[in-house]
Amino acid sequence: MTGMRKRITVSFLSIACLLFISGMLSFVELNRLSRGTGDILAASRRNIELAKEMLDAAHELNVALIHRSVLSDRGYDSLCRAAMARLENVHLTARHEALDRSFLDSLSFATTEMKVLVDGYLTRSARRAEQEAAAAILADTLPHDDSLWIAQVEPMLHPEEHARPDGWYTEEFEASYNRLTAAVKAYMTSTQSSLAPRTEQMKKNAYRAVTPVLISLAVMIAIVLMFYYFMTIYCVNPVLGINKSLGNYLAFKVPFVVKEECKDELLELKEKIEQLINQARQAKS
Amino acid sequence: MRFDVVLRYVGVVMLFIASFMLISVGVSYYNGMDSAFYPLLLSALLTALLGAFPQIFVSKKGQLSMKEGFAVVVGSWLVACVVGTFPYLIWGGEFSPINAWFESVSGFTTTGATVLEDIESLPRGLQFWRFSSTWIGGMGVVMFALVILPSMGRSRMMLSNVEMSTLARDNFRYRTQVIVQILMVVYLGLTALSLLSLKLAGMNWFDALCHAMSAAATSGFSTKNLSIAFYNNPLIEFILIVTMATSGIHFGLIYATVTGKHNNLFRSEVTRHYLAIILGASLLIAISLFAAGNYHTLLASFRHAIFQVTSLITTSGFATADTNLWTPFAIIILIFCSIICSCSGSTSGGVKVNRLLLAIKMLKAKLQQQRHPNAVVRVRLDGMVQDNEMLYAVMVFIVAYLMLILLGALIGTLFGLDMTTAFTGAVSCMGNVGPGFGEVGSMNNFASMPVVMKWVDSLLMLFGRLEIFGLLQLFMIKWWK
Repeated sequence: MTGMRKRITVSFLSIACLLFISGMLSFVELNRLSRGTGDILAASRRNIELAKEMLDAAHELNVALIHRSVLSDRGYDSLCRAAMARLENVHLTARHEALDRSFLDSLSFATTEMKVLVDGYLTRSARRAEQEAAAAILADTLPHDDSLWIAQVEPMLHPEEHARPDGWYTEEFEASYNRLTAAVKAYMTSTQSSLAPRTEQMKKNAYRAVTPVLISLAVMIAIVLMFYYFMTIYCVNPVLGINKSLGNYLAFKVPFVVKEECKDELLELKEKIEQLINQARQAKS
Repeated sequence: MRFDVVLRYVGVVMLFIASFMLISVGVSYYNGMDSAFYPLLLSALLTALLGAFPQIFVSKKGQLSMKEGFAVVVGSWLVACVVGTFPYLIWGGEFSPINAWFESVSGFTTTGATVLEDIESLPRGLQFWRFSSTWIGGMGVVMFALVILPSMGRSRMMLSNVEMSTLARDNFRYRTQVIVQILMVVYLGLTALSLLSLKLAGMNWFDALCHAMSAAATSGFSTKNLSIAFYNNPLIEFILIVTMATSGIHFGLIYATVTGKHNNLFRSEVTRHYLAIILGASLLIAISLFAAGNYHTLLASFRHAIFQVTSLITTSGFATADTNLWTPFAIIILIFCSIICSCSGSTSGGVKVNRLLLAIKMLKAKLQQQRHPNAVVRVRLDGMVQDNEMLYAVMVFIVAYLMLILLGALIGTLFGLDMTTAFTGAVSCMGNVGPGFGEVGSMNNFASMPVVMKWVDSLLMLFGRLEIFGLLQLFMIKWWK
């Protein structure tokens, strides 16, 4: 490569290019870091929202089941099913969106257990209702001292007298309900409990975001130092040398000698000055 | 000294290193653009820019002076180690700044010691860069660049003279220009042969290539946490033993043997002694291990003994067994092997068998001189009379080498390491071996070392690789004027 202008332009372009790379890198890395942090916060917020919805659905289901079992009102069946479906939907959404999957297994287990329990209860209730209807028909046709009446129809008509004390709600549902709410709470606090490793991850991300920029800056500093050094030895020093030597020649007639290494246009300048001095010397003689 | 000229040639070496980073980028891309792709690409770009910048201003110059040659070689090694950290630092993971520096120095100096707890979790692109750095280092950072860049002309001779030790040059018996080409041919040939053999023995292509590069460079880097013990395959071990042992022989002699020249390795006194040490040490260790009940059969003892002896004497550092569990007798022999190492003119580090033989011959000559004060006693090596200057240099080197080991061990104990770890760590780093004993045993790594010791050990690796005096000159301010 020859020509001072060309050398300086290329050097300047290299530095500008590196500056641009450093800038772009810091922009991209910080953007990524900000996105990562935003993702963690959004996941935490979404976790709480989903947990709240699940708790609402579980509460709704609980109320509907209490009404269904205490009042024996079959009108609450659809409410139970709707609450269960809502719970399942939210659970599926949570499964789909969760960043931290460590608490999802226990939540899935509790939800499935609840569904099986509620479905079983509602099915049994529906079957019993059908049997009661059939018994009512039989009651009208059979005499009340008939053995078939005593064994099958009478318990259907007065289930509270014949059935064993119904511990389904307290023994089965309540335990499952508690497990479900505990799992939902664990899911809700999962983002908080995994905050420490996530903070560590964020710290690593921040380190990774800064490192390329720091390295680019270090390389740029090295290049700027080299640029300064080369400019000094190839441009500044020769100009100073030519100036000093020319001054000495003009003032004291000391021979024009430049010790510094001259290149490109500066070499031409030096040669032209020498030519000029020679011409002046020849003209004088 | 013309610093601009030094910068130009160091820049050329950096351009060469950047090209290897780009190859690693290709490997990363081929493996589904793994997480090392962008770190490697950015590192290649920055290194290339840094290397290209001096070329803008400094045009090709004539002959380099001796000082300039030294400055180019030492500067190239240091700068290579610095830019070698870029991919590690940008990738992150286990690489803190000191870990990245240690890994880079360990790679370029072919030490093969690592600070990584889980090597297998590294993406393939970064793995390949690790092995590339060690492969470049095996040949010599500057020597490699000299082969690739024919435009260097007369400067090539000066640089190769500086990078290669005097002992290695003497044994070559070729013109300087040819030496560089011979080295390359032998090095490439060894790597290619090893690659094919390892592939045929059951490794996958990537592992075979990495281990072939590592074995030819006598580095000891492995793609597996358990090193070669992972494969538990006698054939792979045999191939690596042959590759390592061959890489420990003078490359000029290998070339001469292959091309049917008279001065081949069968006539070399140094090579004979080198092979005898390997066999003798292996047999002694095998007997010791068998007698102590470490292995059930003598054959199994010999299998592990010869692998470890070859691995340590060639300064490779691969492992098939936990040598910390071996008998004290075996450990002492292995430490002895780690200090002597193999022949000059090879890719290995350490004192070298040549110097050991010369030291023994000088001792014999001294005794003879005492018995016959008027006798003219000459020291010969491979039939060549060695001048006093050479013998003096050998003795100074051995003394300086041992002093640096002691200094390293002293600093190690000062920072809380036990004596075995401190001493063998210093021995292994100074000889570019890799594993030592104690906390830095064959199945351990340098991760648990204090930060100061990682700096000290990486400095020892550089001292060992540059044969002490090159790097020492850096600390002499007067030398730079």
